[in-house]
Amino acid sequence: MTALPRMQPRGASILPILLFFVAALALFLFPSFVKKPYVLHMGVMLFLAIIQGQAWNVIGGYAGQYSVGHAAYFGVGAYVTMMLLEVNKIPPWWGIWAAIAASLILSAIIGSITFRLRGPYFVLASISVAEIIRLAALYFKDFTRGAEGFLLSEIPTLHVFGTEIVFIGKRPFYYTGFAIALVTIGANWAVQHSKLGYYFQAIREDQDAAHSLGINLTLYKNVALAISAAFTAFAGGFYAMYVKFIDPNAAFELRLSVEIVLIAIIGGIGTIVGPVIGAMVLVPMSEILRNPRGLVQIGVLAPDSRVVDFIEKHLANAHPLFYGILLVIVILFAPEGVLGVVRRIAARWRRRAPGETGAPASA
Amino acid sequence: MPMLDIRNVSKFFGGLAANSDVSFSVEQGAIVGLIGPNGAGKTTLFNCITGYYPPSKGDVVFKGVRLNGLQPDQVCRLGMVRTWQKVRPLAKMTVLDNVMVGALVRTSSLKTARAVAHEQLQIVRMDHRTDMLAGGLPIGERKKLEIARALATKPELLLLDEVMGGLNTGEKEEIILLILELKRRGFTQVVIEHDMKAIMRISDRIVVLNSGEKLTEGAPREVADNPDVIAAYLGERVGV
Repeated sequence: MTALPRMQPRGASILPILLFFVAALALFLFPSFVKKPYVLHMGVMLFLAIIQGQAWNVIGGYAGQYSVGHAAYFGVGAYVTMMLLEVNKIPPWWGIWAAIAASLILSAIIGSITFRLRGPYFVLASISVAEIIRLAALYFKDFTRGAEGFLLSEIPTLHVFGTEIVFIGKRPFYYTGFAIALVTIGANWAVQHSKLGYYFQAIREDQDAAHSLGINLTLYKNVALAISAAFTAFAGGFYAMYVKFIDPNAAFELRLSVEIVLIAIIGGIGTIVGPVIGAMVLVPMSEILRNPRGLVQIGVLAPDSRVVDFIEKHLANAHPLFYGILLVIVILFAPEGVLGVVRRIAARWRRRAPGETGAPASA
Repeated sequence: MPMLDIRNVSKFFGGLAANSDVSFSVEQGAIVGLIGPNGAGKTTLFNCITGYYPPSKGDVVFKGVRLNGLQPDQVCRLGMVRTWQKVRPLAKMTVLDNVMVGALVRTSSLKTARAVAHEQLQIVRMDHRTDMLAGGLPIGERKKLEIARALATKPELLLLDEVMGGLNTGEKEEIILLILELKRRGFTQVVIEHDMKAIMRISDRIVVLNSGEKLTEGAPREVADNPDVIAAYLGERVGV
């Protein structure tokens, strides 16, 4: 007698969709009630992480190709948007499309090199290609300004439907990030519920089987990477406009590639909720470590709190360490991410619930 | 014109000849059994036919089209599909989704693919397993899932690689009836099998491979009585 795992019946449940809309509405109204910059900043970083995590999810979560070189697309998105604005005076809402186009071309080149490789070799190749681009950005100073980087002077005022949007303060970025995050989640949902989603997952589960069933592996891996790269570049452009300064190390760093993977892995890969949960775990953690004074600002801690002191003195640059510890914990105890743990607990709870006959399905 | 024509196919791995100069053809609607001891080159031949690697020499001609150099996905689209001896379920996808992946080669509509997948699951009598994860299936049903998934690609020619391997008598009988049912439905089939009784029962012709070469070919009775076959493979006369 083997108990066989069962999947949820298809399409029947309205609850997640309802929850999604309630959460979206709450986040939309949030800045009307909470105006503290630190909290809005946390929101912006959260949306950014969600976009990155969802974007990686397409290639890593669905298609199972663990790219650890997504900083390449992020950096290209950031640089193209920033340079078009600073050098050519092209506003970011036009520049971002050029950035996405550039990332698509880059993804086609990187894909043609790295998809010849499988498993760990693919991971290593993706890391090296991104590092090559970082070093190139440092080296070609005439074009990229090298380590000096770009400082944003001013984002022009955006006119839509007769309203003026001035990109000053956190609020406009909060809403922009929110909108891009929604679009990215929507795109992920659309991928999951299409032929692409089935093909990506088949490639993840078994490349040879997928190949024999008529799936053009090279084509579909490249399509997955292109979708992923486009949204990552979107995130990069948004990030550059928000933090207003980029240099090759900030935009192309390996740490960034790792962070992007972590968002998805910690939440639970191959799902839509996963990267959202991952972002909700990682962003507050890294923001508090980077700037514990924020907790004072929102009144969680007293200004003379020892905690703030301790973090500032000893843990100021420790967030990569915490990422590492978190990753080890997740791999050891929750290989399917936070979402996997929640599901396991839910399943146990359901089994204990009264009224059940308790007899598991048998083979 | 035969549906599948294997012409002098050889496959070398370094100095090792996994197949050398193998020729035979498969007529439309027929079941051809492919037998031979372990290491005779049966699975290698399947890999050459379906594009996993190109033959070192010789041609594979399917419906008049020379397949050399085509990729497995292109071969599948032409109407020839194989199953795997070591089953390859898409473990974290449901049984229905597994079969839908096969169906999607002919359509982009999930709705159509779902309908096709349900039909195939009925043919292999697995419609009660639709929503189960493929990774949780027992071996007998994994083998049937391989067949259902292959059928969903709407092939004309099926290459079945030991679909009865590791099954009990009842399950084997079910697969035999399924293969005969597929023949009635007009599918052409090449079947690799170790179970001699089974292969004698279902095959119109049998091709015997030994050490990469074709030893003989003929009707089941002829092959079973051939002294070379008995010596190389069977070890003793089989009473069927």
